Amino acid sequence: MSNGLYTQLLDLACGAFLLAAVIVLWQRELAAIVRVFGLQGIALAAIAVLLGAHEERWDLVAVGIGIGVLRAGVLPYLIRRALAALTAAEPAEAPRRITGRQRAHSEEVRETQPLINITASLLTAALLTLLAYAAARPLTELNPTPATRALPVGLAVVLIGFFVLVTRRRALAQVVGFLLLDNGITATAFLATSGVPLIVELGVSFDVLLAVLVLQILTTRMREAFGTTDIDDLRELHD
Amino acid sequence: MSVIPAALATATAVGGAGAAAGLVLPQRPRVPVVGVLTAGVGVAGGAAGVAALGGDRWADTLPGVLPLAGTYLAVDALAGLFMAVAGAVVAAVAVYGIGYAGGHGPHGLGSRTAQAVLPLFALTLVLVPVAASVSTFLVLWELMALASLLLVLAEHRERASVRQAGVWYAVMTHLGLVLLLIGLAVFAAEAGGETFAALRAGAHAVSPTVRGLVFVLIAAGFTSKAGAVPLHAWLPRAHPEAPSPVSALMSAAMVNLGIYGLVRTGLDLLGGGPAWWWLGLMTIGGASAVHGILQAAMASDLKRLLAYSTSENMGLVLIGVGASGLFAAYDDRPLAALALAAALLHVVNHAAFKALLFCAAGSVLRATGLRDLDRLGGLRAPMPATAGLFALAALGAVALPPGNGFISEWLLLQSLIHGLQVPGVAVAVVLPLSVALIALSAGIAAAVFVKALGVGFFARPRSRQASAAKESPPLMLAGMGLLAAACGALALVPGLLGDGLDRAVAATGLPGSGAVSGGGLNVRLADISASLSPLWLVAALTAALMLAAGLPRLYRRRRRRANARLWDCGGGPPTPRMAYTATSFAEPLQRVFDDILAPEQDVNVTPVRESTYLVERVRFQRRVPDRIEHRLYEPVLRALAGTGQAARRLAGGSVHLYLGYGFVGLVVLLLALAVGW
Repeated sequence: MSNGLYTQLLDLACGAFLLAAVIVLWQRELAAIVRVFGLQGIALAAIAVLLGAHEERWDLVAVGIGIGVLRAGVLPYLIRRALAALTAAEPAEAPRRITGRQRAHSEEVRETQPLINITASLLTAALLTLLAYAAARPLTELNPTPATRALPVGLAVVLIGFFVLVTRRRALAQVVGFLLLDNGITATAFLATSGVPLIVELGVSFDVLLAVLVLQILTTRMREAFGTTDIDDLRELHD
Repeated sequence: MSVIPAALATATAVGGAGAAAGLVLPQRPRVPVVGVLTAGVGVAGGAAGVAALGGDRWADTLPGVLPLAGTYLAVDALAGLFMAVAGAVVAAVAVYGIGYAGGHGPHGLGSRTAQAVLPLFALTLVLVPVAASVSTFLVLWELMALASLLLVLAEHRERASVRQAGVWYAVMTHLGLVLLLIGLAVFAAEAGGETFAALRAGAHAVSPTVRGLVFVLIAAGFTSKAGAVPLHAWLPRAHPEAPSPVSALMSAAMVNLGIYGLVRTGLDLLGGGPAWWWLGLMTIGGASAVHGILQAAMASDLKRLLAYSTSENMGLVLIGVGASGLFAAYDDRPLAALALAAALLHVVNHAAFKALLFCAAGSVLRATGLRDLDRLGGLRAPMPATAGLFALAALGAVALPPGNGFISEWLLLQSLIHGLQVPGVAVAVVLPLSVALIALSAGIAAAVFVKALGVGFFARPRSRQASAAKESPPLMLAGMGLLAAACGALALVPGLLGDGLDRAVAATGLPGSGAVSGGGLNVRLADISASLSPLWLVAALTAALMLAAGLPRLYRRRRRRANARLWDCGGGPPTPRMAYTATSFAEPLQRVFDDILAPEQDVNVTPVRESTYLVERVRFQRRVPDRIEHRLYEPVLRALAGTGQAARRLAGGSVHLYLGYGFVGLVVLLLALAVGW
């Protein structure tokens, strides 16, 4: 693979990676958000595979493929299953007249009222990306390769993921925010160190998988106990 | 081979064995075995101290004991003095404690925890002066504080007030530790090493501002341990609530270590300092002396009275240490040595009589279950030995001849009076004031101990418990007898301390004063034409007393004695309720110092229903609160509680809010990085 092609492909993957994060912010439908998250997993896997192919380190390619399977396949599947559990009570063919109960259900699968509205969120994402570029400048200057030049993208996704975590009400949207955060950290690790050892990545992935499993169960339980997954309603538990 | 390492190793081994015995042994043999081993710690530690006072020196490093820092140990005469005092007190009180805890059952001082901690506390009391590096010192210091805290809490099952006292003590002692930690860490960083040798060598290169800061911090930490105002609030709480042998150990051995730390760091390691350090120290000392003794005069709880008296005596010692530093700052070294010798001698004397006083108070408490002087009385007949021992110790505490406290206070006054030749306006104001404060506190101390002895032991019993009192078991009397012997020896022949006191003073770099050395029976001051011969003084006093008591008797023998009933104003025979109580005895003093003490009075008059002129019940209540505590602590505590309440608002319960804190923190950090680069 020639250097120019490698750089272009890497930049493309990183761009897709960042764009996916921004689209997560833009979407309201939880199902769409999960779909975009899956696409971001593919972009992340592409980054890892590209890095591995460029440096001819096949273990890195294997790690990349593993990441792809986990983040584009397993995790979206788990979240979708949780989503399906939330909407399971709803009849498949919704009648024309929407009852209150069904509106509640449709609200469960939509991020209807984030704490900060969509437009402001997108603007904030732009600002956070700028901040990431500003903060990562000294790191990029240390060793300006195509990989380190893309480093701020990872940081930006970390910040955007954190932002999703802070501003979204639905528990599942928050799970996606947490996973965005983790994707950003993984991308930063790959871009900064040109690949993490297999064992480290394995541990991190396993951790994330477990966290998602636990969160999935918690979400279902929350819905059973409180009738909603809006985590602001947990405020009542405060002493 | 030197005596000191062998004695210290023995003390450590015996202390460890005592702790293990306290943990393992069943209840019956536990108290005697632990008591004997604790006494062994005291004897071994005291022997090391005496050897050091005799001129031995020893230093060693144990690199493996404390990770990273290593353990530095050194014994000189100054450390030896405090080790000897602590060792002697521990040995006598341990003997007393066997008798005290023996009858107490499985709770309180006889419990497994308390008996396991007691030898460790004794060991740390002996070992703190041995430390020769900042980290070693702080570790031992903290161990001592924790051990004493556990012992203070020993009777928490019996009284709820013990827990409150424990909280106060824990907070105050750790506040002191934090101050010491900061002060010594700054000192070590600036001097370029944390061993005492490195500190001593590097102290002169430290800038005056930093030296001043270090001194203020460590002086605050050490005076808090010594129970001086304004950080004294733990002392009148913890000492009364602790079991009596523990009170004796704390009051006679632990508070001394605050003085030790101050002398060690201020005079030795920092090598003295400008006059304002020492004027400040003398102010604190004077305030503690007067405040402590006034509060003691108002107290009707016997052990609280003794605790406040400790605060007073430590105040006197601080005046001595401050005067010593002041004279050294003006380069009058003989006078500085005299003031320090007076202060150290007072530490020794105070340890002897205060340990005995607390033990006697413990005997009273054990016999009657009462600490309230208002309900005691008439204990002389059922407890003659305890009453006699208490009287002997009280004589030492009132600083009148022939008590042992007199000699050190006399030395202190001599040094202050002759210090007027030192130039400076502040000195000219502070020294006469200090003399006046010492005189005032000595006068009130006389009233305090007349009250404690007269109201507590004489007259008629004022409660059922007091009239049912029995004399203490022989082991307790034996322990008190040892302390009484020490009191007597110090009162009659202070020359027994020999050159040890001089060597202790010389360890700080001052010349020896020769105050109690050489003369044997006499106290002779080398640079001041003054001398005192305690033994002759006692002989003369005894002769005069016998004369005063004997002559009228001789004269009266020829007359016949007529017995008649006491005139009772027609109100029936006098009852114990008519006798002076501690409160009524203190009432005139309280009137004199009304403005300072600010007592709170409450009169509730309940009239009979339907008539405002007929009174059904009058309730009168008077409290004399500790004013410093009232003014200084309560606002701070209120502010702290207010801040805590306000901080709860930060935790509103919303998960988004908590996440938001993290997010905003991260963004601000990144912004700072981005802008900063």
